Amino acid sequence: MAEDLVLDTAIRDWVLVPLSVVMVLIGVLRYFVSKLMRSHQAPDLKVVKEGQVILRARNLRAAAGFIPAKSFRARKIYYTNEENGLLHVPKGQAQNAQAQMFSDPNLAMDMMKKNLSMIIPQTLTFAWVNFFFSGFVAAKIPFPLTHRFRGMLQNGIDLSTVDVSYVSSRSWYFLNLFGLRGLFSLILGEENAMDDTQRMMQMSGFGFDPTKSLGAEKDSIDIIQHDWALPKLEKRAEDVLKKLVK
Amino acid sequence: MVWEGDRGASGGAEDDLPIFNAENLQSNVKSIYYSRTFLSIIGGVIAGIWGFTGFTGFIFYFLVMAAASFGLATQAKFSVCTYFDSWNRIFLDGIFGGLMSFVLFWTFAYDIVHIF
Repeated sequence: MAEDLVLDTAIRDWVLVPLSVVMVLIGVLRYFVSKLMRSHQAPDLKVVKEGQVILRARNLRAAAGFIPAKSFRARKIYYTNEENGLLHVPKGQAQNAQAQMFSDPNLAMDMMKKNLSMIIPQTLTFAWVNFFFSGFVAAKIPFPLTHRFRGMLQNGIDLSTVDVSYVSSRSWYFLNLFGLRGLFSLILGEENAMDDTQRMMQMSGFGFDPTKSLGAEKDSIDIIQHDWALPKLEKRAEDVLKKLVK
Repeated sequence: MVWEGDRGASGGAEDDLPIFNAENLQSNVKSIYYSRTFLSIIGGVIAGIWGFTGFTGFIFYFLVMAAASFGLATQAKFSVCTYFDSWNRIFLDGIFGGLMSFVLFWTFAYDIVHIF
C-alpha cells in the first residue's frame, strides 16, 4: 500500500499544463501547415477518366437490382467486352501507366511531406520533454498498473519503492499523444486528428493503381448475379395509387 | 446533446432490400462519434473531480457510454433502419476510441484536484 505523496503545486503549473497546451498548439499548427503545404497537383486527364469509369461501374454493381435483367446485361457487356469494353485494359498499357505513376515526383514529394509533418513535431516534442522534464514524478494515474510497467512509466525516477501510479512526464507525454486525438477531431472539424496516416494511404492508393483497379472492377462485374429487387413492383404501385384515389 | 445533424439514412419500403443513402449514413455515424468523444472528455473530468480510482473509474466510463447509447437509441426512435445500418453502430462504435481521451482527462482532473 502506498501513502499518498503530496506533490509540489509548481509541478502542476509548470509541467502538466504547459505540456498539454504545447501539444494542443502543435497539433493545431500542424493542421494548418499541412493545409497550406498541400501542393495542388493538376489532375491527369487519363487518371480522372479512369476514376470516373470505375465509379460508374461501381454504381452499376450497387444498383443492379433495380434495373431489368436485359438492361443490366447490356450494360455489363458494355463494360466488360473483350474488344472495346471500358474496363478492359490490354497488358502492355497496364505496365506503362503504373511505371509512370511510380516515377511521378509529385506524389512521392507529397507523401514525404506528410510523413515528415507528422514525425518531426512528435520527435521534437519528445526530445524536449526528455530534456527538460525528466527525473521527477509528474503525475499520478488514477488506476493501478502492475510492476511490469514500472520501467516504461517511471523512467526518470530512480526509486523503486514508489508506487507505479506515480509516473514521469514522459508517460504524461504519451498519454497526451493518444488522448488528444479525440479533442483534435472535435476542434479541427473532420478527421485530421491522427488519421493522417490513413488518409495518406488512401490518397497514395488512388494515384498508384488505376489500372489494377480497372481489372478488379471488371472481375467483380463479371461475377455479379442479377437479383431483381422489385418483383412486385406493379402490385405495389397499384396499391399506392388505389390509396391515393380513395 | 445537440442533434441537428441527424438525417434519415434509409429509404424505400420495408419489404425490399434496404437502400442506404451513404452520405446521410456517414453524417449520422460522425455525429455519434462526436458526441461520444465529447462525453468521454466530460466524463473524464467528472471522474477526476469526484476522485474515482482504479476500476471504479472504468466502470464509470462504461456507464457513461451506456447512457450515451441509450440516449442515441431514443433519439433514433428505437428503429435502427431509419438512421443506421446496424445496431452495432449505435451501441459499440467509438467506445474504445473515447477511452484514451477519458483516461487523459481523468488523470488530469484527478491530479489537479487531489494531488495538488
